[in-house]
Amino acid sequence: MLPLRPTARKRGVLLGVTALAAAGTLAYALWPAQRLSAEGGSFVRDGEAGFVVTDFAYALGPDTQDTKACPNGMSWDVSQAFAATPEGKRRPGEDDEAYGKRLEDGGKRLSATPDGKNYCLHPELAPTDVHAQVLAHPDARADGIDLDGKISRSPADARSGRLDFVGRDGAKGVDNQFWRAVGCNRSYQSAGQSNGFAVEMYTGSWGILFKLADVDDLRNDDDVEVGIFANADPIQLSPTRKALEYATYAMDQDPRFRASTRGRIVDGMLTTDPVDVRFHHVVNGMYLERPLRDAQIKATLTPQGVLKGYLAGYTPVVELYDYQFGFRNAKDAAGKPSPPGRILGSSNGAARVLGHTCPGIWQSLHRLADGHPDPASSAFTSISTQYRFEARPAFVVDVETRGSNDKLVRND
Amino acid sequence: MTDRVLSSNRLRGALLRHKRALAIGALVLALVFLAGAQFFEPSEPEPVGGPPMVRRLTEEQYRASIADAFAPDVPIVGRFERPVRAEGMIAVGTGQAGMSPFAIEQYDASAQTIASTVLGERRAQFLKCGPKNPQVFDPNCARSFLTQKGRLLFRRALSDEEADKYVDLARKAGRQLGNFYQGLELSLYTMLVSPEFLFRVERMAPAADGAHPQLDPYSKASRLSFFLTNSAPDDELLRAAESGELDSRAGVDRQVSRLMASTRFEGAVRAFFADMMQFDRFGDLSKDPEIYPAYNSDLAQDAQEQTLRTVIEHLITDEGDYRDLFTTRNTFLTRNLGIVYRTPVPQRGEWVPVTFSPSANRAGIQSHVSFLALHSHPGRTSPTLRGYAVRQVFLCQDVPDPPANVNFTAIEATAHKPNVTARDRIFQHATEPSCAGCHKVMDPLGLTLENYDGLGTFRRHENGALIDTSGSLDGTDFDSTNGLASALHDHPETPRCVAERMYKSAVGRDITWKERYYLDWLISGFEDDGYRIPALMRRIATSANFFTVTRPAPAGTLAFGASGGKSQGGKL
Repeated sequence: MLPLRPTARKRGVLLGVTALAAAGTLAYALWPAQRLSAEGGSFVRDGEAGFVVTDFAYALGPDTQDTKACPNGMSWDVSQAFAATPEGKRRPGEDDEAYGKRLEDGGKRLSATPDGKNYCLHPELAPTDVHAQVLAHPDARADGIDLDGKISRSPADARSGRLDFVGRDGAKGVDNQFWRAVGCNRSYQSAGQSNGFAVEMYTGSWGILFKLADVDDLRNDDDVEVGIFANADPIQLSPTRKALEYATYAMDQDPRFRASTRGRIVDGMLTTDPVDVRFHHVVNGMYLERPLRDAQIKATLTPQGVLKGYLAGYTPVVELYDYQFGFRNAKDAAGKPSPPGRILGSSNGAARVLGHTCPGIWQSLHRLADGHPDPASSAFTSISTQYRFEARPAFVVDVETRGSNDKLVRND
Repeated sequence: MTDRVLSSNRLRGALLRHKRALAIGALVLALVFLAGAQFFEPSEPEPVGGPPMVRRLTEEQYRASIADAFAPDVPIVGRFERPVRAEGMIAVGTGQAGMSPFAIEQYDASAQTIASTVLGERRAQFLKCGPKNPQVFDPNCARSFLTQKGRLLFRRALSDEEADKYVDLARKAGRQLGNFYQGLELSLYTMLVSPEFLFRVERMAPAADGAHPQLDPYSKASRLSFFLTNSAPDDELLRAAESGELDSRAGVDRQVSRLMASTRFEGAVRAFFADMMQFDRFGDLSKDPEIYPAYNSDLAQDAQEQTLRTVIEHLITDEGDYRDLFTTRNTFLTRNLGIVYRTPVPQRGEWVPVTFSPSANRAGIQSHVSFLALHSHPGRTSPTLRGYAVRQVFLCQDVPDPPANVNFTAIEATAHKPNVTARDRIFQHATEPSCAGCHKVMDPLGLTLENYDGLGTFRRHENGALIDTSGSLDGTDFDSTNGLASALHDHPETPRCVAERMYKSAVGRDITWKERYYLDWLISGFEDDGYRIPALMRRIATSANFFTVTRPAPAGTLAFGASGGKSQGGKL
């Protein structure tokens, strides 16, 4: 028998491996699906309870526009900033259309360095935005919870801008510096557009799941396991677009989007130990990540399985800027970097429409950051961020989910 | 050593002789047993049959016939009008259905599309001949195509006169249109709107005096095929009809075995149970989205499919006892259904086999969403509708319509009273004499099913009050849905009903008065077969009565006797 040439041997091995893989796939496909056992009962089964988040938004505070909370008014966008310059004044006889176009053009010039580097992509290159306003008023209120266990209300805290809020519900020591950073922006008022990102959740772009385990008593349990996951499946809705209870959802298989911590239930109130979490976020078809460090839950749990309260922690400032304002690290659905034109258009367009500048928000976030000091510089690198949420009973499973279009791809 | 070999040979010889004797003994015993079994098994009563029928194709049968004659992806653009249900089955209603102008328009639209698809750009797929010059008529090709497709569409060979007619039509049209294929298209279109295609016309074979008249071989083939595959006869079955095989028991047995072994048999069983469970009514079903947010058209589809999958797995795959359909906890779910059943379903877009635990309170197909949602109001349950449906669908029992002068104000007065259960709301059903007569046979069943809301989700409370689920079925009391499941399983009418429905569905008409002994024989055989549905279908298909027909009444006389004075159904 002639010895096989190395290439032929390789080809043989390759063929063998391919055949084995094909046989395995076929066997898997033809193998009858395992029959599941279905139990009855309430939403807590075998000490476990799953939830799908059905409402999710930044926890902010009472509207500040035209109040003493923002004595200098709202932050300006680049067109407003240009209009304030001598060059931006309306010229005699200039009609609305021509003036509007000149303001837009002037605003665009203010949005980039002289050599054309756009500030939304390079906010660190921009001069200080003197028109960016923050919510510095000591009497301003905010929603949320106390993250650090301290009530920072001293004059020094006020001077540093890191003054704890008093909650609308009277809660003390509320850490919500993100609200300070955006509180004087028009799009973060109650009717503003920036707090409506849950719309994307209802289109199925992203979602959040919770799972409690080791639950002995829904009202009082001193030790429960709490899982916080990105949802790998689209949320299930009714014909009137309300989230359905008791649907099944798969948790994300990427460990970066899965977190587990311990918690306790006292008189129906669930609180958890801090844990880093990360969720998906989608804007304009750009796929982003929404991280939250040392995240804690404080929420009430009803006998019907409605979990309602706060998810709060610290968002790394640079990442917050990127998922919410600059989109610099956005990816497409396939995981490749989003087209630069879309990133540039979306970040500048959002700033113009929502009433801020990229440099202004970048600077405010850094100035008001209050978490995770850099060991070398002692500068804070994250900013306290509060979300309010409502979650309803769901079945949370740990499987690799497949979209309904996968069958078309597999040509089943 | 030699002695040892000799004795070994002797031993082997003795054993061989004994073996032979044992084998002969076993054979004799088997023959005696078989003869005995033959002797003791009740034989089929003298066949009496009923009138031959003219039955309109159902939507599924139309689609299957086109798919079989041409290809599954040939588009059918027309809509199908609402089917007529008689004796609880659309399969029987097809023998009583007329045809509306709307239906004719829709058949016309479908026929045009089918003909243009078959003889248009894709014609090479269906037509293996043709003239080099399309303007020249090719009579041999036209005849070959039209007789071949006509045989499949009309479920019989075309007569010479018919073949001449369709070929001549193709010639004339081709001449006027200047194209051979367009002429052929018109001829095919004409076949597709012909009553010979749209209706299953049963014809009687000539019979000797005194002999029981039977269907002609083609009609036998159609009856067999639609019963066992829900589609038109295939080429092999038509060949068997043409060769006279269907006139012998052995030939029928062979074809029945072949059809039941085909993948289409499952389709026939699905069609029967979809018909029996009245799934056509899902087209009209609506639910208040505020009260039942999980209901949508996807869920409605999945609910029907769940029950049909359960039926097929239990009756065909597992060859199970029909009565166990009312107690089985095995089923299949999708994520849509998981929401209603409050059950996790791991994979998206796939059917997952599930076994409900006893504590899940799901036993039998009467606990499926497809039954519970269909027999409820848009915004609430109805113990009466559900109880009526159990009686009517599963037990073949009729409940009279309410009296014309029924006083609904008695119900209205308490209908919207807060914090009460359905039992409280329909209290008058049991106390008002004009209501109680009928409601006492429906409501006790439906009240047990109050454990499921108007969509089918299990519940223990209604408006905060614990639901009293006590009920009864013809003397059997129970206080849970599992108890109802057992009562249905054990009810003597449960197997009788499905056997009766199966036969009616097969022949497309009600049972005639004289067929009652045949029905008793059928039900007795069903019991002997362990209530296996495939065995029941085989028994029907191979029985002499299945092909036996009664002679039409002479003109000018009244045709009593076919169905005990009831409708003769479908005679043209």
